[in-house]
Amino acid sequence: MSAGNNQAKKEVHAMGNDYLWDRSGEPDPEIQRLEALLERFQSHRPRPAFPELAPATRWWMMLRQPRWVLGLAAVAVVAAVCVTTVLVYERKPNRDTAAGWDVSVMEGTPRLGRKAVSEKEGKSRLGVGQTLETGPQARARLRDEEVGQIEVDPGTRLRLLDMGSGLKRIALDLGTIHTFIWAPPGQFVVDTPSAMTVDLGCAYTLKVDDTGAGLVRTSLGWVGFKLNGRESFIPAGAACLTKPKAGPGTPYFEDAPSDFRSALTRFDFEDPTPQQRVADLGIVLAQARQRDALTLWHLLSRVDEPQRAQVFNRLVEFVPLPSGVTQAGILRLDQPMLDQWWNSFGFDDISVWRYWERSWSGATPPAIAK
Amino acid sequence: MGSGLEEGFEMLTAGLGGQLVGEQLELSEDAGLVCAARDGDRAAFGRLYDRYARMVHGIMLAKAPFTAVDDLVQDVFVLALRRLSTLREAGSFGAWLAAIARNLAKDHHRRSAPEEQLAVDVSEEEMEMRVSGGDQEASANLVLDAIKTLPDAYREPLILRLVEGMTGPEIARRTGLTAGSVRVNLHRGMQQLRALLSPSPGRPGQEGPKS
Repeated sequence: MSAGNNQAKKEVHAMGNDYLWDRSGEPDPEIQRLEALLERFQSHRPRPAFPELAPATRWWMMLRQPRWVLGLAAVAVVAAVCVTTVLVYERKPNRDTAAGWDVSVMEGTPRLGRKAVSEKEGKSRLGVGQTLETGPQARARLRDEEVGQIEVDPGTRLRLLDMGSGLKRIALDLGTIHTFIWAPPGQFVVDTPSAMTVDLGCAYTLKVDDTGAGLVRTSLGWVGFKLNGRESFIPAGAACLTKPKAGPGTPYFEDAPSDFRSALTRFDFEDPTPQQRVADLGIVLAQARQRDALTLWHLLSRVDEPQRAQVFNRLVEFVPLPSGVTQAGILRLDQPMLDQWWNSFGFDDISVWRYWERSWSGATPPAIAK
Repeated sequence: MGSGLEEGFEMLTAGLGGQLVGEQLELSEDAGLVCAARDGDRAAFGRLYDRYARMVHGIMLAKAPFTAVDDLVQDVFVLALRRLSTLREAGSFGAWLAAIARNLAKDHHRRSAPEEQLAVDVSEEEMEMRVSGGDQEASANLVLDAIKTLPDAYREPLILRLVEGMTGPEIARRTGLTAGSVRVNLHRGMQQLRALLSPSPGRPGQEGPKS
């Protein structure tokens, strides 16, 4: 086994249930020393007295005073006139209050719908149903305090589909976005012409070309890619291609050998015959390293049945089966067993995905339905 | 509220693990406290403060000078209290609060005088001398300075773990990040910190956050 494999094995092992993670296992003397040393920086300030919020129950008391009643009535009439005028003459979301993303210009002059926005105007708002286009020169930043931040590269077209309480959904038709999401996992979804991307925490880059093919590269946390029941999980450091009709390919770590990656791409999208698929699978299996357990696990459900045992045999060399998981179960693609094996790899707990998937998997993404 | 509890129970019966259920219940509790605080219940906001003060303190300590941190923590909570009505998802309070803290820390960093800012260059020899020496306060300052030289993604979880005493699962739950990313960043940040504090001459090269 190579030094790189040993290093990856050590890292996966070290990230198990250790003292650094949750204080389980054998205490690490150096970490204990640092804890004792740094304890002095904790705050000992007592809880401050916070200013009182105007309680929601007090407003009605004002209505006991006639001048407030008259004033409110006048305000209501003016407001009704204003609202009617706005609804009649400008049927579009209110920039400041409608659900949406704040848009700031980083470079050039992007377009929000038909309107060009420039740096001088300060922040604009991308409302539900609106389109943002950057063109060849412009870059923009979208930000929502509860969801995260998206940097939009030149040549990008995206639409805001939903900004509901449980789901924030964007369609990326073309171009590149860099996202950093702090909303809870599973709430931020990007539809592309060939797959749905579900944020499971943190940061990734997503590209879509003019054929509708996409590429996601995860830099922090992990991302789920899904189309028609085919799903890929892409942890930090990994990438995954997706193509129209085919859906998400098999994820791979970006530092994998180039022959491995080329063979995987051919296997996923190009091989016209079963014989060629078997040949490319052979290259992938031969070149796989410890951390490519990521790729091999996905391949279990993507290879033809006769090749599944080969993939299993290679994968089990890298990651032993956890207790309760059997070869027979894996070969018949028993989902709980596959999930349990995945969880032993040290990436992320797959139950997070299974849980959040339920909240959005019923909806057909508009970008794909077209 | 009820739906959060029901979802939690559903997950328990589905055998998805007690930890996730606990997280969901805690999110439901947060949501209840946020709603009560919005209605003017200061005790509810006080409980949110008790629950999240360490997280905010850690985020601030990762980005601002120690002397300014306590005041900034208070500013974060006052700002959060004022903006509470704009929080659309009460269950996302932690992630929302963390975002406010990070933004406020950035603002402070921009506003503060250069001498107050973070970067503290210490020579390797001095670092070794101070870490191995008997001066606990100097050692503590040095270790904190060393953590602050690490990439953002490692700095915050390490301070939450080593200074604030939070566990990895707790950091993930409070900040709204996934357990996986917190675990990886804690692990790699610790590796880099060990390398920085190591007295040996040929220190291993640093590995940046995955990008």
